[in-house]
Amino acid sequence: MPAITLRDILINARQETVQMRHFYIGVEHLFIALLQIQGGLAGSILQSQGLTPDYVIEAIRRKAGRGTPQRLWVGIPYTPRAELVLDIAKEFALETGHEEAGERELLRAILEEGDNLATRTLRMLGTDLESLAQAARVYTSTTEAQPPDLAVIFGANFDRAETIEREHLFILRRMFASYPSIRVERRLTGFRKALILVVTPIQADEREAASVVAKIDLADNILDEVQRYEQHVKSALPLQAARLEDPPTAPEVSELAGIKYTLVASSGITPEDLRTRVRDRGADGLGRLLKQELYIRFCKNWWHQNRLFRFQVWMEYDWLLPPILTLDAVEEAEPPANACILHIPFNRARVKTRLKELEFGDTVILENFVVQRVDYQANVLKLAIGYGDEADKRAYKVEVRGLNLSKDHFYRGEVIERLVGRVWKTRHDVLVEAALALHPDFDLRSRWIPTGKSRVLNPLLIYDDLLDRHINGSQSKIHGDLHLGNVLIGPSGSMWLIDFGHTRDGHTLFDWATFEVSLLGDAVMPGLDESWESARLVLQHILFLNTRTPVKSADSRISAAMEAVEAVRDIVEECLTDETRWDEYYIALGLCALRAITWDTMSLGGRRLMFLLAGLMALEVNHAALVPDTLTPSPDEDVALSPGASTPKTDVIDDMTPGSQGRLDIDSPRHRGFNQQSNEPDL
Amino acid sequence: MILRLEITLMSGVDDGLHFNHSTENGDGQLDDQRWTISIGRREDSDICLRHDIYVSRQHALIYWDGHRWWLQDCNSTNGTFIESRGADERVSGTIPINPGELFRVGRTWMRIEPTE
Repeated sequence: MPAITLRDILINARQETVQMRHFYIGVEHLFIALLQIQGGLAGSILQSQGLTPDYVIEAIRRKAGRGTPQRLWVGIPYTPRAELVLDIAKEFALETGHEEAGERELLRAILEEGDNLATRTLRMLGTDLESLAQAARVYTSTTEAQPPDLAVIFGANFDRAETIEREHLFILRRMFASYPSIRVERRLTGFRKALILVVTPIQADEREAASVVAKIDLADNILDEVQRYEQHVKSALPLQAARLEDPPTAPEVSELAGIKYTLVASSGITPEDLRTRVRDRGADGLGRLLKQELYIRFCKNWWHQNRLFRFQVWMEYDWLLPPILTLDAVEEAEPPANACILHIPFNRARVKTRLKELEFGDTVILENFVVQRVDYQANVLKLAIGYGDEADKRAYKVEVRGLNLSKDHFYRGEVIERLVGRVWKTRHDVLVEAALALHPDFDLRSRWIPTGKSRVLNPLLIYDDLLDRHINGSQSKIHGDLHLGNVLIGPSGSMWLIDFGHTRDGHTLFDWATFEVSLLGDAVMPGLDESWESARLVLQHILFLNTRTPVKSADSRISAAMEAVEAVRDIVEECLTDETRWDEYYIALGLCALRAITWDTMSLGGRRLMFLLAGLMALEVNHAALVPDTLTPSPDEDVALSPGASTPKTDVIDDMTPGSQGRLDIDSPRHRGFNQQSNEPDL
Repeated sequence: MILRLEITLMSGVDDGLHFNHSTENGDGQLDDQRWTISIGRREDSDICLRHDIYVSRQHALIYWDGHRWWLQDCNSTNGTFIESRGADERVSGTIPINPGELFRVGRTWMRIEPTE
């Protein structure tokens, strides 16, 4: 066996410290490096004491804890203690007539120092350090084989173009460690960065176990999902459901973690997600399946658990929309006396007025906002007014750029007493930018948006008022992210829900508004081109749905998908708090649609439809507010709505709501420079 | 009487580093009742742990009340811990601490060195 040089060991130690995100070499890294040498001295001695090297490595890593991605110093320095140990090792080498310390000398030095993290861990594990040191002086090692890894094979449905990163494979292997091999059947499509796979474990006798859905994501997200599952989902699932039966796999050495959803069904079924199904085989029969397989099965413990719930719309929906402000952090010198201070508790009416007055470059002071997320990649700190499950605590999102996140450290859930920044963008700027990206063929500043034969309200001018409304609605357990990618469907049409990362008690109709947006974007729009004409065509069909007219004559390219949307409306009708008050749903749908115009995962055609849909819903809500509660609104009463109405009239917004909500700085919302001149509408 | 405190870091990038404080040099805060040494990420902490992001700006205090050493957690975000039967036990408020006992501030283990 070739002699192991100190250099080899230091290379191992360096890899170890980078993997653990420590970025320094301590005695623990040197010791782990020794243990990682195949058939090495340190590993052999431990084994003679009844400990496997892997077990000891795990214990040391757990004790040390994993570091964070940001680095606070340059290079990979040695700790003072590691330098001491290397000096001792050198002494040992000189004593035995060697130029340089090797495996044995380093091991002896670590045991001799005796006060380091490695030896403290060994002591904790009940090891006799004295006899280890004794053995280290005299032991002659024998080589031995490592056990083979779990084999991962890929099934016929797995897209070869997809690769699974090493870190994800590591977690996957850990999750299925009790099987000799697994077959990855397919990857499920999701919007977020999580990796979701359908996996068939294969037993030693080559029998296949039932497929499961494996989800791998950042450990924080996975643990959050498990907690929500335990709290909201576990006790409320129907017999046939995706369940979390095993604890999450969250090794200390990785920032990723994994969970397995077991699909309680006969084995041999590999489900696919609804988005893939619709993409590959269309939406035929989907409406019936939604009602029978999804709604009827889950409603008893979920959407039918409704309790009366009166809320102001912002409490449930503000967090959906883009951040109210994006700020550039400034050094806390002397903020101007007239700086806008946002603090908790909030007075919504006052804050709304203040926010409307804010201009690019204005100073804003945030007090007692809570860190929701630290995005190191984008160097953005995401804050909101609170922390927890409830939607209203996640409202009033503010994003702060330009902080040195690697220097001033922030933690999820931390309350920031005070933070000063200048306005870079308002929510309004973000929405206007998103609307401009749709290349509108109409005037984005006008109050009315033409939709062919009729017209809808401009959602950009009205959403803030929608957030002020009070809704007599209901609250139930909701999935929180009910889109086509989170519904699995088996060959016989059975459906399962997965991904409970947003499950909470919330507005009952939110799930169905989310689902309708997903259906329109993923099932209806792909049948058409991306033009405004196509978006208006779909809007006309939705207008019929609003009057609860059955979709008889829908365009053949989209009729199956529109039937599925109609099924969603049937479900909504059952969930309405007052079956004559559809505005409870329309307001949810309108805000879900408005948020979707900012999604880069949605097609251009889809986002165009979402813009018009948000406007239509705003109109419907306004309309409903005009009629007494006892009357059922009939769309024919509204000239603007009824098909065949006179050509749309284009009002200019000055006569509408006063204040800057009506101000649309379309020309240069983000590159205005620091000039503080007034931004009156340039109309 | 001259008071001395030697603290050694037991983990992290500064593992093995010693901090020596003494009333002779005007270190820490001295009043009639006690001599206090502060631990935190703030630059003006007596023991400044700038390399541990789990340490709060003002994290913990060690003080001598004339009889013994005390360890006090200053409502830190990530807590102060002592080793207790193989597990880490979170310190709430103030506890007595003996030289040689390991305690953890954020992610950094440390101990008071026995002095004669």
